Amino acid sequence: MHETFYDVMRRQGITRRSFLKYCSLAAAALGLGPEFAPKIAHAMETKPRIPVLWLHGLECTCCSESFIRSAHPLAKDVILSMISLDYDDTIMAAAGHQAEAIIEETIEKYDGNFILAVEGNAPLNEDGMYCIIGGKPFVEQLTHAAKHAKAIISWGSCASWGCVQAARPNPTRATPTHKVPGIGNKPIIKVPGCPPISEVMTAVITYMLTFEKMPSLDRQGRPKMFYSQRIHDKCYRRPHFDAGQFVEKFDDEGAKKGYCLYKVGCKGPTTYNACSTVRWSGGLSFPIQAGHPCIGCSEDGFWDKGSFYDRLTDIHGFGVEADADEIGTTAAVIVGGAAAIHAGASAVKRATQQGDQE
Amino acid sequence: MAIINTPNGYKLDDSGQRVVVDPVTRIEGHMRCEVNLDADNYIRNAVSTGTMWRGLEVILKGRDPRDAWAFVQRICGVCTGTHALTSVRAVEDALNIDIPENANSIRNIMQLSLQIHDHLVHFYHLHALDWVNPVNALKADPKATSELQQKVSPSHPKSSPGYFRDIQTRIRKFIESGQLGPFKNGYWTNPAYLLPPEADLMAVTHYLEALDFQKEIMTTRTIFGGKDIHPNWLVGGVPCAINMDGDLAAGAPINMERLNYVRGVVQRTIRFVNDVYIPDILAIGGFYKGWLYGGGLSGTNVLAYGDIPDNANDYSPANLMMPQGAVINGDLSTVHPIDLRNPDEIQEFVPHSWYKYPDEAKGLHPWDGITEPNYELGPNFEGTKTDIKKLDEGAKYSWIKAPRWKGHAMEVGPLARYVVGYAQGHEYFTEQINFTLKALDVPISALFSTLGRTAARALEAAWAADKQLYFLDKLVNNIKNGDSTTANTEKFDPSTWPSDIKGLGFTEAPRGALGHWVKIKDTKIDNYQCVVPTTWNGSPRDNQGNIGAFEASLMNTKVEVAEEPVEILRTIHSFDPCLACSTH
Amino acid sequence: MSVAKIHTEEAIYVYGPWIRIWHWTQAFAILVLGVTGYLIGAPPESVSSGEASDHFQMGYIRYFHFCAAYILIIGFVVRIWRAIVGNRHNREIFLPPVWRTSFWSEVWHEIKWYALVIPEPKKYVGHNPLALLAMHIMYVWTTIFMIITGLSLYGEGTGMGTWQHTFFTSWVNPLFGQSQDVHTWHHLGMWMLICFVITHVYVAVREDIMSRQSIISSMISGWRTFKDNRSN
Ligand code: HEM
Ligand code: HEM
Ligand code: NFV
Ligand code: SF4
Ligand code: SF4
Ligand code: F3S
Ligand SMILES: [Mg+2]
Repeated sequence: MHETFYDVMRRQGITRRSFLKYCSLAAAALGLGPEFAPKIAHAMETKPRIPVLWLHGLECTCCSESFIRSAHPLAKDVILSMISLDYDDTIMAAAGHQAEAIIEETIEKYDGNFILAVEGNAPLNEDGMYCIIGGKPFVEQLTHAAKHAKAIISWGSCASWGCVQAARPNPTRATPTHKVPGIGNKPIIKVPGCPPISEVMTAVITYMLTFEKMPSLDRQGRPKMFYSQRIHDKCYRRPHFDAGQFVEKFDDEGAKKGYCLYKVGCKGPTTYNACSTVRWSGGLSFPIQAGHPCIGCSEDGFWDKGSFYDRLTDIHGFGVEADADEIGTTAAVIVGGAAAIHAGASAVKRATQQGDQE
Repeated sequence: MAIINTPNGYKLDDSGQRVVVDPVTRIEGHMRCEVNLDADNYIRNAVSTGTMWRGLEVILKGRDPRDAWAFVQRICGVCTGTHALTSVRAVEDALNIDIPENANSIRNIMQLSLQIHDHLVHFYHLHALDWVNPVNALKADPKATSELQQKVSPSHPKSSPGYFRDIQTRIRKFIESGQLGPFKNGYWTNPAYLLPPEADLMAVTHYLEALDFQKEIMTTRTIFGGKDIHPNWLVGGVPCAINMDGDLAAGAPINMERLNYVRGVVQRTIRFVNDVYIPDILAIGGFYKGWLYGGGLSGTNVLAYGDIPDNANDYSPANLMMPQGAVINGDLSTVHPIDLRNPDEIQEFVPHSWYKYPDEAKGLHPWDGITEPNYELGPNFEGTKTDIKKLDEGAKYSWIKAPRWKGHAMEVGPLARYVVGYAQGHEYFTEQINFTLKALDVPISALFSTLGRTAARALEAAWAADKQLYFLDKLVNNIKNGDSTTANTEKFDPSTWPSDIKGLGFTEAPRGALGHWVKIKDTKIDNYQCVVPTTWNGSPRDNQGNIGAFEASLMNTKVEVAEEPVEILRTIHSFDPCLACSTH
Repeated sequence: MSVAKIHTEEAIYVYGPWIRIWHWTQAFAILVLGVTGYLIGAPPESVSSGEASDHFQMGYIRYFHFCAAYILIIGFVVRIWRAIVGNRHNREIFLPPVWRTSFWSEVWHEIKWYALVIPEPKKYVGHNPLALLAMHIMYVWTTIFMIITGLSLYGEGTGMGTWQHTFFTSWVNPLFGQSQDVHTWHHLGMWMLICFVITHVYVAVREDIMSRQSIISSMISGWRTFKDNRSN
């Protein structure tokens, strides 16, 4: 899939001799003895682990937290044996300009051959200075790395859709990856969720490494393997939904019996995610199993649809904020009332006209 | 060039070499740090900057208060849940809602899981590389490591030479690959690293063990809240109904199987903290006990709100298992009572923060707080708007506001809680502190340091693991006594609410005292203000020029190699900064 | 037929059997869709006892919604077929002659009639232009909208790879934002149709009494009769 580091150096006109010299310098820089140099050289001549730059914009870092919770595979194994996590400011040892230098090094060595993982998103207001890295706006770091990446993974609802900081009125103009000007037309895999399920995150990566290709995506760019079904389609409470057995209030009889949470606002019927199949913490549970309605955390703009405890969605616009039934009943009452008044007026008119004709 | 004496007792000198660390890594979120070194490489001026802002307080305006927990929970995914808990408490306070006893126990278990998890991950995965050199671990003799392990923690089963050899081989293969991943460009040749190779190997091994184990700690929240990160909460109680042996109990959120699962997790957590985390702190601390920089405000001004109500709905200090109070001017003989509702006690200032107030000479109590961004750079700033070379700390220089208690800059966090607890004679905490001081053979003054902060965090994890079991037993007993209620829904319907109310919620988050203040008007949020632990610790200067806890802790530290300021990282990391939290 | 016999003018055959059958099944389907759709949005009181497998309340509500939906869809297709092969009255509601100025002046005339400003409407064999406009916008387009959004929601259940999903869900969801928005707009469409039906039924009854031609009976018998034999 890739050129090795050695190939790249050769292509750039570097001789084998200076390559080996580089290797012994690398060994020295690490405080290792010269006996390590040939081993480093060997590794660099064989297939490298795919480099990953994991950038963080405006976010809460819970996607990273989710990633390290993966049970199969263990996050440890992904980081040590599957990818080369060269930049991730949340866990990397380097700091300051030594950290920033890694981005340039990776671009130089692996141009077009590294994966760019994005957690969080870029604010565009105030020239991007609502998120500053190395004194510069995050959006610069993002677009720069994106230009050279092989593909982009948008982790979580922040990078995929905008998430909480993009909720009304989105004061910083936080913008999801695919809408950032300058990203170009790199392939983008969206892995939404707030956060996404740990094992879904690692599965997306291991799929790409194992089968050496992009996962197939739906029209909105989500891997079909985890986002082609709604929570509702495989929810274990679904029989109660069909039966009409609902939780009417939290902690009522229905709640204790595990009835359907539709009437307390469950967004499972409109949410594409793998919670009811893969579940959380290695298959232990998911929000609905713990008694709370799904809030639709993997869906675009789920923050702005009205209360999480209402079945119907708020409609914004024309200065109103109401749900479809509130708007509808108002309209129907107006129309019905108008008809009634009109009928009355017509009758009066007709009576007077007939009087005239007589 | 100027020398400034701050009201809180620091002498700032901005001559000499300006060293910039941006980004500060291995923290949550984005932060910048600038210091001035004198000719002998001592830090004489420190400037810490929060470099992100999302505007959650602005976004919350006009929303349904019952939803607020979900929004504020997304302030941070690392201390995930503590904001949510603070939020439901604030709304319950405004609406005068009493929650059931079971809900209190469950919330406490969830909150304690967070404390343990956050502390453990912080130490191993964000902080350890400031003390531990993974490259040096390759030089270790696995047998020596095995002996060290058995000496510091005889009850930990993973201690054979073969085990350490396997790990060492794996690390060797990793490093020999030339692809160093997260360890790339570290300061591995810096003389500031002091551990012998066998201790490095032990610590690196536990870095990996802890990475595997940490996910288990949070499964309590998967059970009670549906997911381990950003679990679900409820105004009025908890959403997980209890059904032990009624009809359809198998499909209930909480039944016997679920409680057994939680018990197993709680027990394994206690074991891991006591067999791995605490011994590592003592072992590593032993090698660094001569490095006593970084005390900053911890020896003078500390603040704790208290948390973990033993009985439901009573937030008075006597009922809180984590201590409440303030210590000022280093006087441990007096713990001052605090009042979070008093408009004159907690106030936020913005003359050095990128926000606008009508009158910036004054602070605002959070109920009257204003959040209006105002990115503005001072006259001594160097660079351009989008390429900062040097900030001007005389003007606005951070996205973090400056909260003050009665005008004092305060340190919050595990160390602050332990200092307040120690001053109050909190039995459990005092015993732990005395044990640690004795084990390391250091005086009480050693507590007020970077290492003291790191040690307090570990002690607190042990305390929290213990208390989890206490609340699990309490929950079971209460169910046994016939009470399986989990939510009070009397006032869940907004049409039952008064039109003009306000509430306060507080917790002790892993990083320190956290408060949310909410005003509700006609069933919608009118104002929502969060004052967060890292807002306290990472605060910039205030109207009087007091420096905040980060800045104070860096002062007068010796940096060995200016190009590789690992000492700055060490001390800043000891606070476990969370920038997403601090600015929100 | 009694009306027709009273007047001397000849009756005109306007609505063929297809249209009449279509009209009344359509009316029935929309009634069922409205009631069941509303209940999908706001389900009735919970069925509180027994095993889930003993009940199918929500299942039936949805089942009737989908049955009626397919009746509506098939009816609509039939109606389009009639519009193509049938007489010019069958085409009317699909193609209001909005490009003709005379059309708009007649709309104005009708508005004045409904506003009770002028004493008499014009005579029409088919629809009066105002009715036509209302039917075109509030009925034709809303029905198309309901069918598209409805099939999109339906495709979520049948799943990826089914025709409903491929031809509807796959592009309708992204177009509206997400599934929840499609629900909301589909729900709003119901209220649009309810407003149409209220107006439509009221006007049908009123015209039947007050206009110069037969109305309700026409949709039953197919014949349009006139109450006078003056020209316009
Ligand atoms: C006059 C036409 C129709 C009306 C008034 C109507 C009304 C409604 C309403 C009010 C809802 C509830 C929406 C919500 O709040 O979530 C609904 C749901 C739905 N409708 Fe319709 N509908 C109509 C036509 C159709 C058609 C043609 C289809 C096509 C199959 C359809 C399929 C659905 C589906 C699949 C749902 C979602 C059911 C669920 O979520 O369980 N509808 N409809
Ligand atoms: C859901 C309910 C209904 C819908 C969607 C509906 C729709 C329509 C449409 C689209 C037409 C135009 C037919 C054409 O010219 O192609 C029409 C005509 C007609 N409808 Fe309805 N209708 C409904 C209910 C009713 C009811 C309840 C009545 C009886 C009171 C009624 C009486 C008529 C009459 C009399 C006409 C013929 C009007 C004329 O001759 O100009 N409709 N309807
Ligand atoms: N500071 C902070 Fe938090 C914590 N602990 C919250 O309140 O980390 Ni994100
Ligand atoms: S998607 Fe949600 S969980 Fe992930 S970083 Fe954004 S706010 Fe946090
Ligand atoms: S709980 Fe939610 S997802 Fe599950 S069946 Fe009910 S509505 Fe669907
Ligand atoms: S809220 Fe999110 S975690 Fe799953 S069940 Fe719903 S998508
Ligand atoms: Mg605030």
